[in-house]
Amino acid sequence: MRVSKEFFEKQVLGLLGALEGVARRLTRNDADAEDLVAEAVSRAWRSLDTLECEAAFRSWIFRILNNAFVSGLRRADARPKTEPIDGEDGEGEAAEFSLFEQMHQPFLLWFGNPEQEFLDKLLREDLERALASLPEHYRVVVMMSDVEEFSYAEIAQTLAVPVGTVRSRLARARGALQKVLWQQAGERGLKRAAAPCPEHDDKARGTNHIGKGGIG
Amino acid sequence: MTEKEMNCEQALRQIFAYVDRELGEEERAAMQKHLHTCKSCFSRMEFERLLKSKVGALRDDKATPSVSERVKALLRDF
Repeated sequence: MRVSKEFFEKQVLGLLGALEGVARRLTRNDADAEDLVAEAVSRAWRSLDTLECEAAFRSWIFRILNNAFVSGLRRADARPKTEPIDGEDGEGEAAEFSLFEQMHQPFLLWFGNPEQEFLDKLLREDLERALASLPEHYRVVVMMSDVEEFSYAEIAQTLAVPVGTVRSRLARARGALQKVLWQQAGERGLKRAAAPCPEHDDKARGTNHIGKGGIG
Repeated sequence: MTEKEMNCEQALRQIFAYVDRELGEEERAAMQKHLHTCKSCFSRMEFERLLKSKVGALRDDKATPSVSERVKALLRDF
């Protein structure tokens, strides 16, 4: 589909912050992110005829960005890269992980809420660090769903995978992200506060192990 | 009533799709019904929803001046 240059410019400039944010989290480097955005915009302009309709612009240009990133990786690796097979890369255990299950203490009733306290202490830096540590195929689905608010269908279209794959990959990615956040919490002694300990119930003494500041 | 009640195992399997607003109308209604009666699943859902919104707050709405200038220069040449 041919769209006007004016339409193309307006869309690109409106999405630029999001494109740069995704590019930066994919490349983990500001300079590479800038190159990636520029490459994606150039590719998009050259392949305007692959845009099906104006409404599909957002997922279309993010797909181009992702493809540009993947082909850049291939060039850097000088070897073919295949679509990852979820759960077959040693990430199964992390993917099953639930922060909530680590912290939830039903016996506390209304006296305390460790998981809420954990979230309150979570800083932007903690999340950025945890996200950056994820494998690329997990990082990208979390960014698209949680940061850019793409629907499963849009993510599927962007990554050229079935919707069911998006759904299962996202669940695994969130498990992996939560496991990293939990590990980071351990570095700051936050686990002690969150772990259930009914025989040594600090709430009765009105104390709280959660320190000031973030966990990262 | 003929519809089957959702149990915790089923609810937990659907929790991310629920938080992401990706369930169909019927599944969503069944999930909501379960969440009304199960404090544990409700708390889990709330936790996942809040964590999702924390991650969502990482969103960058504005490009850096450097990227903005470079892309504007590109657009001028198209």
